[in-house]
Amino acid sequence: MIENIVERGIKVATKLGVGEVEVYAIRRIGTDIVGTTRGIERLSSGERIDVGVRVVIGKKVSVQGGMISRAEDLDSIVETAVKIARTLPEDPLWVSLPKGLGKSHVEETLDPKIVEPNTDYFIDVVQLLLKRSSEIDRRAFTSSASVHLSTVERAIGNSYGEIQREDSTEFSVFVSVKATEAGEESGYYEAYVAPTLTRFNPDEIVSKATEVAVKTLGARRVDTGDYELVFIPKVFAGVIQSLIVPAVCADSVQKGRSPLKDKIGRQVLSENLTIVDDGTYPGLMGTRSFDDEGVPTKRKVVFDRGVLNGFLYDTYTALVEGKSSTGNAFRNVPYSTPTPWISNLLVEPGSGDLSDLVKDVKKGVVVYATIGEWLSNPVSGLLNATITNGMYIESGEERFPVKGVVLSGNVYEVLKPVEVRVSGSLERFGRFSLPAIYIPRITLAGK
Amino acid sequence: MIDVDTAHWVLEETLKRGAEHAIVRLQERIYETVVYDTGILRSYTVSRVIGLGVRAVIKGGTGYTYTTSMDRESILKAVDKAIALTKVASQYGKKSFTPTAPVKDRYRVEFKIDPHAVEPKLKVDLVKEVNTSSIKREGIVSAVTRLGLERDRRVIVTSEGTVVEVDVVGVGLAHMAVAKYGAVIERVGDRESYIGGYEHIEKRDWNAFAEEIDKLAIKASQSKTPPPGTYVAVVDNEVVGLLLHEAFGHASEGDGVVAGASILKNRIGEKVASELITIVDAGLVEGGYPVPYDDEGVQKGKTIVVDKGVLKGYLTSRDTSQELNLKPTGNARAQDISFDTLVRQTNYYAEPGEWKVEELFEGVSHGIYLRGRGAMGGQVNPSVGTFTFSIGPSYIIRNGEPVELVRGVVVSGNILETLKEVDAVANDLKITTSVFGGCGKGGQTVRVGDGGPHIRTRKIVVGGG
Repeated sequence: MIENIVERGIKVATKLGVGEVEVYAIRRIGTDIVGTTRGIERLSSGERIDVGVRVVIGKKVSVQGGMISRAEDLDSIVETAVKIARTLPEDPLWVSLPKGLGKSHVEETLDPKIVEPNTDYFIDVVQLLLKRSSEIDRRAFTSSASVHLSTVERAIGNSYGEIQREDSTEFSVFVSVKATEAGEESGYYEAYVAPTLTRFNPDEIVSKATEVAVKTLGARRVDTGDYELVFIPKVFAGVIQSLIVPAVCADSVQKGRSPLKDKIGRQVLSENLTIVDDGTYPGLMGTRSFDDEGVPTKRKVVFDRGVLNGFLYDTYTALVEGKSSTGNAFRNVPYSTPTPWISNLLVEPGSGDLSDLVKDVKKGVVVYATIGEWLSNPVSGLLNATITNGMYIESGEERFPVKGVVLSGNVYEVLKPVEVRVSGSLERFGRFSLPAIYIPRITLAGK
Repeated sequence: MIDVDTAHWVLEETLKRGAEHAIVRLQERIYETVVYDTGILRSYTVSRVIGLGVRAVIKGGTGYTYTTSMDRESILKAVDKAIALTKVASQYGKKSFTPTAPVKDRYRVEFKIDPHAVEPKLKVDLVKEVNTSSIKREGIVSAVTRLGLERDRRVIVTSEGTVVEVDVVGVGLAHMAVAKYGAVIERVGDRESYIGGYEHIEKRDWNAFAEEIDKLAIKASQSKTPPPGTYVAVVDNEVVGLLLHEAFGHASEGDGVVAGASILKNRIGEKVASELITIVDAGLVEGGYPVPYDDEGVQKGKTIVVDKGVLKGYLTSRDTSQELNLKPTGNARAQDISFDTLVRQTNYYAEPGEWKVEELFEGVSHGIYLRGRGAMGGQVNPSVGTFTFSIGPSYIIRNGEPVELVRGVVVSGNILETLKEVDAVANDLKITTSVFGGCGKGGQTVRVGDGGPHIRTRKIVVGGG
């Protein structure tokens, strides 16, 4: 039982005389099925237990941990944490670990079909993804398809609260489709990433991947200049995650690394953009009843019709400002120091669908995929991304496919104009639920 | 627990249960970081990865399982699971593995001072000193300084009799400074790593290292972004490393080639780069990350990928080599035991040429000098052929001189075009690695080395502003 690990860790640390202690344990059981042009390539599965221990002595804080291979490992992690904590300088900003751990109500976070998987069904899914693309279009084939299933048990407790436990599942499916014709090559990938199979339709994802791979065959560069752009939801999510999310996390703001510092109450994005963080929203990857410190998750509006409403906090950054955590503590692994990050990010819908946004474009590009958007600079707000799959549009009509073009601009200028519009239809994947977006002007570097 | 005897026992249990071929991997990795953020100790963490992974092959089917629980019962459960998965897999795909002659070897990085045995206080004091000095500099508003210390021990045994132990120790320091000038805030980060013990940390003047980064951040915050477009570029060692890794390295990985996902498929013998370009992937090279053997226990020698502009081969694992009718090149690598291997680069670089660095600038009336310090990394889509990377503050070249600093530079290009445009290669080979990051693929990060000499290319797309 994963709670026993947490309990044991707290006991050991308390005995060693620490002021505060927190133990976080995650047990993850995973299965992977990978297929390529050669068929089903590999089945793998495994189990890992990762534990993180945070001890506080005075204002000296130490976080230690790792994978544990037997119960005694935990004791030695705690002992190391205490030994190191004693030698550290104090953190003058330290107040305390979170008090009042608890849970919010959440739905669609666990799927019995993943807890007890029927391996044959998931193998069939991979096989369908492998063969379907070339049936849809002879120019296409699936270069790889994979299914990943995990059951995740999380338990956390500290000196102040009850141990919290939550079980959830994770399901991700990827398909990469390649298209070739007359010496031209193109490729596109689609994915389904969610805690459950509720909205999973393998035919739909392979069809979408095939459609874009084929239609972007023979892509070329456009001339350097200013264009209108339409981002499909997946591309829009990449931009938000790379530039806006780090800027609304309280640690960046407090350390002078956010261009949104001192901008609360100001119009920083278009009035057509309302952006919400909500860890209780059903069925997304960030849906969970408590964050990585055991604090209940909740809904908060970050940008209300483009006006910055507030930042995302974990306990440490909140207490620095005399506030409460917003339930946004995030840890890559249980043994990393928590930092604020999004739970689920929702962009409120506008009207119409993708084609309605495209039909008003005079001269622009619809962007289906970029690479390198995550290398953009959230400190300066400078957006940079390279289009790998796009379509040049003139007077609302698709003219030719585009690739190898770099789009650049300050995200707060690009997303601010009143002409920015979003679609009414939303797409969900991973931690996002959001529309497609129309941007009236952006610079492209091409020929 | 992480020893050859345990590995042999697990191997025997796997073979006893009907595996025709098996690889057992054991690993223990300790990673220690000390992070100061703007004058405050943000974290001091020691983490450990420990466990074992088993790959079994039966009738062409492959299964892999791992466990972090090292008691007898959990290990045997993992072995049973591997066998069960392998039997299921054998009903579907058929794979074969190039046989390799058994190897018995032990590779160990020598060090004078065990980084994990150094008093924590000494480490904290060093990071604190560098970080607090930095934030006192005028124009710097925020700084993060990070010390990274790592030891990675791997044991690999195979049913063919290979027994390999690899023990790598590495240390490094990273510093990121944020400068503000008027309304502009800009960040510049850099890191320096060494393979070996704490003696390398003691030798280096880290204040001087951070000061250079701080000054560059301050200058960058006062500079403009470059006008977007196509440029003649002189490319420094670090950016050449990024360029080769993204623009060519990933596309030359055998798994992508076999799956038909790489634009380099069926191009062996074709001219893919300027004749000035020779690209190699080598397991052991000065400045790089040591990979004497891969995670299938195959020796990683020096693989010639491009010879004087002509594609000569791909990077392979034991199964992709079989499929491609090539020798295994020792490039099957896994982040840790919770993953089976993928085909990955090790130390991927270009051989030096004969030009002096300053000669590359001669005759460039308008161009850009692409600099690696402050680079954030890159990405490629090998099936589309497009790559990109974000690089550090760079210089506009006018009349043969790098004259004006520009910030926010990204470059983009096409795998099959970019290296054909290289018209000069300098003689200053430099390869580096990092204990802070590496290369990501399929959800796994592995340590790599990259670099090369300065080069000049006639055409590269630059975005910015």
